[in-house]
Amino acid sequence: MPKVTYIEPSGNQVTIDVPVGWSLMQAATSNGVEGIEAECGGSCACATCHCYIESHADQVPAAEQGERDMLQNAVAEIRANSRLSCQIKMSENLEGLVVRLPETQI
Amino acid sequence: MFSFDPYSPAVDADPFPFYKTLRDEHPAFWSREANMWVLSRYTDIVTALNDWQTFSSAKGNLMTELPNRAGNTLGTTDPPRHDRLRGLIQHAFMRRNLESLAEPIREIARSVAEPLADQDQFDFITEFSSQFTVKVLWAVLGLPTGDEATAREKAVLMVQSDPATRTKGPEHLAAYQWMQDYAAQVIAERRKNPKDDLISHFSMAEIDGDRLDEREVLLTTTTLIMAGVESLAGFMSMFIYNLADHPEARRQCVANPSLLPDAMEESLRYNTSAQRFRRCLQKDLELHGQKMKAGDFVCLAYGAGNRDERQFPNADVYDIGRKPRGHLGFGGGVHACLGTMIARLAVKTAMEEFHKIVPDYRRAADQLPWIPSSTFRSPMRLDLVKIH
Repeated sequence: MPKVTYIEPSGNQVTIDVPVGWSLMQAATSNGVEGIEAECGGSCACATCHCYIESHADQVPAAEQGERDMLQNAVAEIRANSRLSCQIKMSENLEGLVVRLPETQI
Repeated sequence: MFSFDPYSPAVDADPFPFYKTLRDEHPAFWSREANMWVLSRYTDIVTALNDWQTFSSAKGNLMTELPNRAGNTLGTTDPPRHDRLRGLIQHAFMRRNLESLAEPIREIARSVAEPLADQDQFDFITEFSSQFTVKVLWAVLGLPTGDEATAREKAVLMVQSDPATRTKGPEHLAAYQWMQDYAAQVIAERRKNPKDDLISHFSMAEIDGDRLDEREVLLTTTTLIMAGVESLAGFMSMFIYNLADHPEARRQCVANPSLLPDAMEESLRYNTSAQRFRRCLQKDLELHGQKMKAGDFVCLAYGAGNRDERQFPNADVYDIGRKPRGHLGFGGGVHACLGTMIARLAVKTAMEEFHKIVPDYRRAADQLPWIPSSTFRSPMRLDLVKIH
């Protein structure tokens, strides 16, 4: 299984195996990673799974319009590498992906 | 030989021993009675929820689907059609757009809790949860008052199924028809006199100049009313059921209401009212040695995944300190429950006000009448006795 490293708001780094097909949000919440609320459960309806993609910029599929619109509701600073982690599905080519979580989601 | 019949009253009453056998011995099980596969392990359910291309909702998501509903609601369509519908509705359900409802919801909770001050024993469902949820929904959707009691009765009937025929019975279909007629009246009224509310926006919506299909407007509104009345009350009933049965958790929550959100999340994990939903396979799939075929229906047993020891240690213990993130109590993936935020807000507020009037209580009966439903699980009646 490909590995993903999450950098929690405290700076703590957590590396977990993520099943291919799972969203980055799902893997984080199922493994107790701190820094994601995911209030809506993964339906791209809340912007509380905001993250910054710190690696693999060319390999992460681009955001669709619905995600880009919803992302504007994120509370923390929105940067060029901001994404909603519920909308990124794990794939083999994302092995070693680094995902930073913002200070706050609510 | 092991069997799993989601229509059986034994499963309505206590599905958890069956779930354990399913998870441990038959993780991909063909239920002859339900005519579908059953997935019961947490990771398998999550994988299915994250893969709508393989596990489609377009042929219906209720275990026993209502006629003509599949393909016309949020829960019974796949992207991109699903996303188009959801885009119209989701803003109404976001946290920031619910903040203005906090105070009206608290007022409703107070007014419904107050008469309980004089009663030593009462049915929580008749006296509290039904009245509260219907009033909240009517306020949220701006529905005309007067029909709440009937709507509640019909919503509860709609979600049931007949244990003998394993289909919807005539009374369930009649209730569904009533709800559609009711929704149609509301939609017609809003089109005539539009207000700044969800149903007005939704019933007038055009996407890229293309009006929503009339059936989508009707059945999505019908589903919103059904979910708002039945699912919200079911969630609340299961929460109070857990607090009634766990005195230590209850006393902690009453002494410190800021513990209610964690206790609520654990309740959604421990015995969510949304026990089982279904999908339809879009391609052949081999899982746990079983060959599943394109076109087969698959039950995602959220209630079983939520008790999976592989994910949640001591899964059969109700532990309000657990913080069970990633639980399946609201489903997950693109079809995760739309009403999560309003449900959390409403139930937390309701319980805060209820506990002010009824701070200590226990169940009056050991055995409860459970609704006959292949999809949902909650008691029809829940008598509570005050502890003085």
